[in-house]
Formats: sequence, C-alpha cells, structure tokens
Amino acid sequence: MSLPESSIPKQRARSGSPWTGLGAVIAKEMADHLTSARMRILEILIVLTAAGTVYAAMQNLRDSVSEDRFLFLKLFTAAREPLPAFVGFLGFLVPLIAIALAFDSINGEFSRRTMSRILAQPIYRDALLLGKFLAGFFTQALVYTAIWLLIIGLGILGLGLPPSTEEVARSLIFLIATIFYGGIWLALSMVFSTIFRQTATAALASIAVWLFFMVFWEIIAGILAQILSPVYYGFQEEILRQSIIGLTLSRFSPTTLYAESMIALLNPAVRSLGFVTPIQLQGAILGTPLPLDQSLILIWPQLTGLIAATILLFALGYVLFQRQEIRA
Amino acid sequence: MRKFFIALTVLLVLLVAMPALPASAEDTPPVGSVSGLTVFTTYPDQVIGLGETVNIPLKVRLESGAATVKLEMKQLPEGWDASFKGAGRIVQSVYAEAGTDASVDLRLEPPTQVAAETYRFVVVASSNGITAELPITLTVKAKTPPRLTFDTELPVLKGTPTTTFRYDVTLKNEGDEDLSVNILAEAPNFFLIKVKLSGQEITNLPVNANESKRLSIEAQPLGDIPAGTYPIKINAQGGSADASLDLTAEVTGQPQLSITAPDGRLSGQAYAGRETPLKILLVNKGTATARAIQLSASGTTGWNIEFEPKTVEELPANQQIEVTAKVRPSDKAVAGDYMLTLRAQPAEGPSQSTDFRITVLTSTLWGVVGIVLIAIAVGVVALAVFRFGRR
Repeated sequence: MSLPESSIPKQRARSGSPWTGLGAVIAKEMADHLTSARMRILEILIVLTAAGTVYAAMQNLRDSVSEDRFLFLKLFTAAREPLPAFVGFLGFLVPLIAIALAFDSINGEFSRRTMSRILAQPIYRDALLLGKFLAGFFTQALVYTAIWLLIIGLGILGLGLPPSTEEVARSLIFLIATIFYGGIWLALSMVFSTIFRQTATAALASIAVWLFFMVFWEIIAGILAQILSPVYYGFQEEILRQSIIGLTLSRFSPTTLYAESMIALLNPAVRSLGFVTPIQLQGAILGTPLPLDQSLILIWPQLTGLIAATILLFALGYVLFQRQEIRA
Repeated sequence: MRKFFIALTVLLVLLVAMPALPASAEDTPPVGSVSGLTVFTTYPDQVIGLGETVNIPLKVRLESGAATVKLEMKQLPEGWDASFKGAGRIVQSVYAEAGTDASVDLRLEPPTQVAAETYRFVVVASSNGITAELPITLTVKAKTPPRLTFDTELPVLKGTPTTTFRYDVTLKNEGDEDLSVNILAEAPNFFLIKVKLSGQEITNLPVNANESKRLSIEAQPLGDIPAGTYPIKINAQGGSADASLDLTAEVTGQPQLSITAPDGRLSGQAYAGRETPLKILLVNKGTATARAIQLSASGTTGWNIEFEPKTVEELPANQQIEVTAKVRPSDKAVAGDYMLTLRAQPAEGPSQSTDFRITVLTSTLWGVVGIVLIAIAVGVVALAVFRFGRR
C-alpha cells in the first residue's frame, strides 16, 4: 500500500470496500456447488472410496494385534490388497474435485451470458472472483471435513477406542494440508477458466497440468537432475548431489509437497524427508515417533509452500480477471 | 642179631606201656629218638595298640623223629589270656614231624585295662622230656588318638563386597585312623560359603591316616555388605576328632555410582546445534568414597558433550552431587530421539553408565521463513487488489 495515490488513474479508483457482496457470492456459489449433480457424483465417489479403504484398513488393523500409539493415523495409511490406502486415493481425487469445481467458474458465466448481469449488481469483480474461489474452497473443505469425520467415526466404531489428542491434531493438520492441496488446483483451474473462453479447453488444460505433475514431473525431474549434475566418476558425493537436485526439482510439484506432508503427518516415525547420512543417525532410536511440533517443522516448508502456492495462483487469476474485458 | 631182638623187645614194651600213642606212630621213628625240638615265630617282638588282640603264628619243628608236642605258656602276665589255636579250635598240643613244621597260632588277649608297657611271654613246647622255649615280647603302646589339624597360610583376606574370598586350607589327619570328615562353616548370614576340593563343592571328605588334603574355602559376600571385619569359622569333624580354623574376611568399602537425573527422568530435549544443559545427578550408593570420578559420554558422533565439573574429585558414600552436562547435538542432527550414554568412572571401583534419551528438536527458524513466504503471497494479492481492485 506504499504506492502513491497519484500513480493510480483517478477514474479507476472507485470508493468503498472491494469485498462488498462477497458473502452473497460465496453463499450463492456454494449453494450451486452443493446442489449440482457434478458435485454429488464426486461426493458419492469420494465417500465410497473413504468407506471402502477405511473398512479395508480396519480389517487390516484388526488382524495385526500389535500395539500402536497411532492407530487412527493407520486408518488413513493402512492398505489392504487390492485396495490402495485412502491417502493414495486422495492424491488424485483431490485435484479431480478441485478441477471439477472451478473449471467453468468464470468462462461458464460468460457462456451463459450472466457475467455482465452479476457485475451490474453492486458487486466488484474482486468480490466475485474471491467469492467464487472461496465458495469452491469452502465446498471442498466441507467435503473433506465430512470425510474426515466419517473416517474418525468409523474408526471409533470399528476400533472401539477414542483417538488421542495427538492423533486428532495430526489428522486435522493433514486435513488442512489436503484442503490447501485442493486449493492449488482450484486456483489453477480458475486461472485457466479465466484465460480460456471455452469451458472444455479450461478443463482440459487443468487436467493436462494435473497429469503433467502426477505422471511426468517425476521423470522430468530425474532427467533434469542428470543434466544439471551428471555423475562422471560414480563418487558417492556426485550421486548424492544428483539425488538432492532431483528431490528439490520434484518438490516444485504440488503432488510431491502434498505426499511429503502426508507422510510426515500420518507417520510420526518419519524423521527426515531428505537424505540422511549414516553419521546423522548414529545413536538415533529408530522408529520412535517425533513430537507433533517437530513433525510440523519437518513439513513446514511443504505446508507453507502449498498455502503460498494457493494464494499466488489466486493472485494470478485475480490479475488476469481484473484485466479482462467483460462486455464482450 | 641178639642186639636186634633186645631192641625189638624194648620197643614192644614201650608200645604196650603207651597205648595213647597214635597208630601212625608205628611207621615213624620211635618216640624216644625225638631230638632237636624248636618252637619259633617270625616276629617274636611286637608292638601293639591298646586293647588289641594279637595272633602270633608259631611253628614247631623237630630235627628228627616225630612226636606230639605239648604247648604251654610258661610266663603269662597277669590278666592276659593266652590260647593256642589250630584248625579254628583251641588246641593244647601239636603233632610235629621232622621235615614238616607244625603251625599253630598263639592268641594273646590283653585284659581290658591294660597298661602301656612291655609284656613278656614264654611259650614252652615239650615232648618226651625235651622242651623248647620261645620268649615273646609284646609292647603295648597307647595308640595315637585321632587328630585333625587345619592350617592355612593366609587366614586374613581383604577385599571389596564383590570379591570372592578364597582361602587355601590344609586339612591333615594326624591320627592313625582313616577318618570321614565333615566340614562345617560358620559365617555371618550374608556370606555364601563354599568348601571345595579340587573344584568340587563338598561337605564331607575321607582323609586317610597321616594324609592331608588341600581345601579351598570360598566366601562370597551377598549383596552390598558394609565394610568391616567378618569372622568365618571352619569346623572339621571326623570320628572323635575335630578341628577348627578361624578365618577373617576384611571387607573394605567400594564406591557404587549411579547416574540419574534430579527428577528421575532420564530424558531431555536439545536443539540441534545448540548447547542445552542437562542436569544429572551422581549418587554414590556404595560403602566407600569414590574419588576422581571421570565423566564421559558416548553414543553419537558429531555431538559435543561437556560436563561441568569435568571430574568430581570426591563423592563420599551415600552422597550425591549434581553435575551439568552441556549437550550440543550435531548441527546436522535429524529431529527425533537419540540414545546418549553417560559414563562415570571412579578411580577405584566399577564404572557406571546410564542411557539418556535426548529428543533433538530442530530450529524453528525455517518456520519463520515459511510464514514470510505466505506473507509475501498475501502481499502480492494485496498489491494486485490495490492495483486492479474495485473494477
């Protein structure tokens, strides 16, 4: 806000809060989302997934009678053939839901020719875009919270014991990470929805980016690491450096960030996500859980990365939308 | 020829006159011609024990002829009972023949209260007027009473409560009888006594007359016993003999260190790359003063652990002292639990170590960076709103 008042053209600077009408937009959009058939299909899909995987995990946990301090966290991560763990499903269901929620948020209004009507109301574009984003964000937060409650409830019923405070705290932070992971894809597909006038194009572009990060980025990061830091002599240092570069590159992908935060949060015994030399582990008692705050410190970069990426992508979409011609 | 007849007549007369003579005498030389009668024994002079009955084998020899030889005791000390024995019976005479010695046993039985002195006996053998005497001397000696002795070179041993006191003891049977000896030890309750003979634990052993056995007496203090002098008495008892030996175990005190924490919690937290003080408590639970206690730590490389003070000069028994360990985990330590072994080594006495569990925390500095990152992102949005807002 340090910009001098004079640098802004007078006719553009309108008075009042840019967020007037934000509440109304959020409420309307959320109502749309929650009643839409598209959302119902996705909700049924994810609820079925959650129920199925958690039931399988519970069967698995019952079979192994070993004591575990973090039994509830196992509900999320334990897998039973042929089903993968719940978190494995989340890795691709979350982007799918986020893209489905937002791929037509802006260009859909244009194609229905309702954009100018909305903006004729005393609502700024700021409020419209933020409202749309927050509505999507809250919708998916609602869905994930419902599923989180469902899993914890199923766990209490199935395992017959209440979750500990730390388990609740860890799974709640995991829920927040999941919501922001969804937020990234939501903001991204809103950007595409602003750029492309065709809803199908926007959806395809979003899915392309998602596929790129899901499938190809790991491979590309590996190749890039080989190019940037080739192994000439096969020294351990060289191999280690290449691996570190590869890991750093792969962390540009939100999928990696989310996977890493998921691992550290749901498996308290994870001490490090990078490379650890044997000397660093001398005297370490392996398998002991980290305190929650230490796990948080471990994934803090990932977590803040997810949050910051969501905000920055929204900022990008905001700038693009503000600069767009509406009366077309 | 006439002479022959005279001799024959005399012989016949003699035969008629002595009808008691056995018929076999007929083909032996005539009795009248018996000569050279001797009675003898191989050991005529014997030493015997008190109350011992002696059997002396006698031999009766005739130079020529054959005759019944009567045996008698010419001299018999008072109270003694003498009898001749042959073929399991008491006999009074033997039949002797030239060329074959007749054997008979002389059984001499002393009176119940026999004095220890020399007794003389004379055996007389007589036949047809010729006699032979055999003097026998028995020296009655009071027998050596059964006697056991115990002996050791080192009756006083010194050691710590963990020492096993091992005494080498010689048990000697100085009597003339073989004994079966019971060994019994008397010691304070908190000593475990083992009597060993060539590695085997025993309570009873046979010791032959004039034989000695080397025993090993092991006294093991049980638990942490206070310093002091403890008597151990070993009794040996065999037959009517017994012996005892007093041994002494001098138990000196021993420091017994233990490392703990003031609140008993053997865990702590430390930030990676940062020095964290860890209070530890050094307790001497032993019975002697621990001197020059060296403190050290091990378990992890790259960690820097310093003690304040580095060395505890003196820690009396049942005293404790608080020591600060400055723990500085390695800069690159990964967060989580580590095992740290702290060791205290007194100059004399066993060292003691305790494992501490150190939870390494990582700095929250990068957390601030993350917040700044989010703040920048929010700033970008604010900037965008300011620049493009309210359209």
